[in-house]
Amino acid sequence: MKLKHVTALLCAAAMSIALGTNARADDKVVKIGVILPMSGGTASIGAHAKAALEVATDIINNAHPELGNLPLAKNAGLAGLGGAKIEVVIADNQGNPATGQNQALRLITEDKVAAVFGAYQSGITLTSSAIAEKYGIPYLNSESVAANLTERGFKWFFRTTPIATDFAKAYVDFLADMKAAGAKTDAIALVHDNTEYGTSVANTIAGAFKEKGQPVALDVAYPVNATDLQGQVLQLKDKKPDVIIMISYTSDAILFAKTMQSLDYKPAILLADDAGYSDPSFIKAVGKISQGVFNRSSWSVGPSGSPSAIIADMYKKKSGEEMDDTVGRQMQGFFVLADAIDRAGSTDPAKIQVALKATDLKPEQLMMGYKGVKFDDKGQNVLASGLIIQLQDGENYTAVWPKANAVKAPVLPYKGW
Amino acid sequence: MRRWIWLTVVAALAIAYPLLLSSPFQQRLGALVLLYAIAASAWNIVGGYAGQVSVGHVVFFGCGAYAAMGSYAKFGLSPLFGIPGGIVIAVGLAAIIGVPTLRLSGHYFSMATIAVAETMRLIVTNTDWLGAAVGLSGPTVPRNVFDLSFLSSLPYYYLFLLVLVITLFITWWMTNSRMGFYLRAIKDSERAARSLGAPASRTKLYAYMLSAALTSVSGALYAMMFGFVDPESGLGILISVKILIMAALGGAGLLFGPLVGAAILVPLEEISNSWLGGKGAGLTFVVYGAIIVLIARFQPGGLLSLFTGRKKSKSDTGAGHAP
Repeated sequence: MKLKHVTALLCAAAMSIALGTNARADDKVVKIGVILPMSGGTASIGAHAKAALEVATDIINNAHPELGNLPLAKNAGLAGLGGAKIEVVIADNQGNPATGQNQALRLITEDKVAAVFGAYQSGITLTSSAIAEKYGIPYLNSESVAANLTERGFKWFFRTTPIATDFAKAYVDFLADMKAAGAKTDAIALVHDNTEYGTSVANTIAGAFKEKGQPVALDVAYPVNATDLQGQVLQLKDKKPDVIIMISYTSDAILFAKTMQSLDYKPAILLADDAGYSDPSFIKAVGKISQGVFNRSSWSVGPSGSPSAIIADMYKKKSGEEMDDTVGRQMQGFFVLADAIDRAGSTDPAKIQVALKATDLKPEQLMMGYKGVKFDDKGQNVLASGLIIQLQDGENYTAVWPKANAVKAPVLPYKGW
Repeated sequence: MRRWIWLTVVAALAIAYPLLLSSPFQQRLGALVLLYAIAASAWNIVGGYAGQVSVGHVVFFGCGAYAAMGSYAKFGLSPLFGIPGGIVIAVGLAAIIGVPTLRLSGHYFSMATIAVAETMRLIVTNTDWLGAAVGLSGPTVPRNVFDLSFLSSLPYYYLFLLVLVITLFITWWMTNSRMGFYLRAIKDSERAARSLGAPASRTKLYAYMLSAALTSVSGALYAMMFGFVDPESGLGILISVKILIMAALGGAGLLFGPLVGAAILVPLEEISNSWLGGKGAGLTFVVYGAIIVLIARFQPGGLLSLFTGRKKSKSDTGAGHAP
């Protein structure tokens, strides 16, 4: 009997506390609101991103002269704001577009953040950035690739990552180079899941090849988080395409590798579109039977002592994981945002927006392999680009294309196991 | 008489809330409570009063949400035009689903509704015209007031309050009509009700269709507020579960039960998320789950039955039988 009343009281207490407002921001602290999936199916991404942002905050807030040309690394804090520190306020989007939007509103109106950063899933970036747009707060996205995000006429939305059209073009050029080197690349098969990511990227790639007069020969779709992929692999084995482009999240990528081994099927060229194939758990699980797989990435560790190698070390110490493309793009995006706030010399949203528009970072000022960072009218980084990497001898990807960035030459055909 | 005093107090509080607690987040929280209260009240008609525990109600929610966004994204009309369309589709769908599945009893009905909801989600996910997995977006920058895309949550709050009052009025009117008596008889014992000549199948179907229509309205309002719908947020089974839990928590089969449930769970979720969400994965849901377990263990009739349950046996029909 008593417990019932206690329960009711607890509920009431929780509600009343929640309705109180938060304290106002300190002048010497610049708050950046970060929306990430901290729970739900992609919670591991959120945990990795949190570690990456902690490293990035450390680099900005403390002096790191060893990082060379990287903006904000040399001195402690933001010089443009009298050495103010960056503070990250993380909100959980729970993998839900509605929650993401509520959290964006809370960050902007309650926590009074100077800018919003997020939100991993394209659908959640879509809804949460609409709130930032309405309130006139800069929103920087570093990892959502759905093309429509920058087609909405937004004035406060900026995206640093390369998007589907960028890497579709890279695939076309890469395969053309391989053909020139003597490989057979005539029949191309696309394998993708049925999510927004899988379908939209597959469509973009198919369009890019069609434009080059080389329509995709085979399109194999499968339900995401599949439990059996034998049918799809047998279909590929039957049609024998020269090149397979895989667009898959981690669990499906692992299952594909295992199924291909058990059915003894290897294409001549296996090219993966980031996502699952960049996940450290993919390499741990099936790296040994996926030797020679090509992958897209904007991340490539430089020689030891280079800024990217130092950052990779810091990240590994923090999270226990190897740095991958996704967290790299997130850190890079965060640096771009912090740099703009520094140049704005103010937390006034309008001034940060102006500074973001004026962003012009050179390759040597970046930790990722972009050609630079410069936004067009729609807020898309026009200098975003990627490299092709290959899993060679063991468990590490090596940059193999384009030639200018290559550490080793690409090895053909696909070796498998 | 005392009931009227309470009603007046609650109504006054509801009207004054966004003016008293006027920060944007608090106003939005209020609007969300009302929105979920509408959905849970709509579910209550068939789940609470008729005792048919539908876990697939998100289908009707999705009808409304997709109709509202579709009328904007596909035809360039105000999302408001989608509401009647959503109702027509939802009611039609309810008839198609209800005729075969309402014959099933107990858990089998719940299972059938889950199956229908999941099928629907997969169909929409693979239908390009409905945006497939990407979903449909509403107007970001409103063309006029009829696009219902406001910066402040205040207009949403009062719109939702109005719709909630209408929903509760319809529910109240229904419970006092012949249909309400049939439903209570069916809930207690369908066989006994049938033997006394109550048209059980038809009554259940009507309740199901009425509930579907109101759920569809809540879906449309939801999509208008968020300006976006995709298969997960419009047709995901978790939305059904959330609606069901709110009604059960507050008191299924009681007029104000869903409102109480929503008023507790919505703030709880938002707040535990803002406190704990950034710190560790999933803590929000641990707190959320713990509350539900406590309620289920100690007050299975819903919180509202604490106050109404043992006062009089007349209004006690719902307490103790909640799912």
